[in-house]
Amino acid sequence: MTTQAKVKPSFEAIAWRAMRYSGILLIPLAWFHVYLQDVIVGVHAIDIDYVALRLDMVAWVVYDMALLAFAFAHGMYGLRQVSFEFIHGERARRNVSLLILGLWLVVSLIGAVALIGGARPELISH
Amino acid sequence: MLVYLKIYRYNPEAGRNVPSYDTYNIEAEPTDRVLDLLEEVKGHIDGTLSYRRSCAHGVCGSDAMRINGRNMLACKVLVKDVGSEITVEPILGLPVLKDMIVDMEPFFDSYKAVMPFLVNDDIPADGKERLQSPEQRERFDDTTKCIMCAACTTSCPVFWADDQYVGPAAVVAAHRFIFDSRDQAGDDRLKILSDHGGVFRCRTAFNCTEACPREIHVTQAIAEVKQAITS
Repeated sequence: MTTQAKVKPSFEAIAWRAMRYSGILLIPLAWFHVYLQDVIVGVHAIDIDYVALRLDMVAWVVYDMALLAFAFAHGMYGLRQVSFEFIHGERARRNVSLLILGLWLVVSLIGAVALIGGARPELISH
Repeated sequence: MLVYLKIYRYNPEAGRNVPSYDTYNIEAEPTDRVLDLLEEVKGHIDGTLSYRRSCAHGVCGSDAMRINGRNMLACKVLVKDVGSEITVEPILGLPVLKDMIVDMEPFFDSYKAVMPFLVNDDIPADGKERLQSPEQRERFDDTTKCIMCAACTTSCPVFWADDQYVGPAAVVAAHRFIFDSRDQAGDDRLKILSDHGGVFRCRTAFNCTEACPREIHVTQAIAEVKQAITS
């Protein structure tokens, strides 16, 4: 059967698979985030000291970076799909895809920098 | 029963440049088909009404149209199943030529693009037949049922907006040969379908599965092709 042979994966195939894997990861990441912030801690108990304490732990920084990058990637991938309904030229589609990829990268990097930088309660006057 | 029939009309050659609807009150039996109502209008009320029909028994796939907003074969759907107020319109996503007749060329172009034919240049072992086990035949049985009516493709919201997407029917046609143990061009088809107009444009809306008059599991077939590409 010919389907046993390997087909060189296209960008579309790689992107589709990446969305599936990151989508599976997003389920526990997003739900535990909601459970922690809304149930265990409670939104009214979240203040700058709590944020600073949390961002002092590398594991939480990595967790939040993954949540931001994956969730935002899904939003951007969806935006790309929607944009293809209005943009039909091959070159225009490639440019829009690159623009969206760049936007995802920049926003994710800014988020990562903010998370790594952490919170500084001493700068907030109570 | 009295059926209130509302029919989409468009005929630029006769000056009806703007699509509009004609309405008719037709006496019908609940077991009449919607095609019977159209035949009644065309035969006895307005001979200019145009639609495709051939076998009238759900085999040729000529009379796919939107009936009360859903893609169906007019020859398969009964009046009792759609009620006494029936709206008949052409399928979406293909240019309307006249009334219910659409230009099927873009649909067939997509079909042809996926090589919907058996490719095997080897001489069979016995010189006559390429044998296949029942299990191997079963693997692609579902997608052999396609009658090319375009009900699936023209129910797909991605196809409506993106003329580069090959559409569900073309994927079904490709599936039929990709998973055929006798075929040798599966990789070529997978390559075509992994491109930007291929299966990864599918957003799994399931409209195609719902619309298929042959009850082919179209969305599942698309998912199997996606898996064959990525596995």
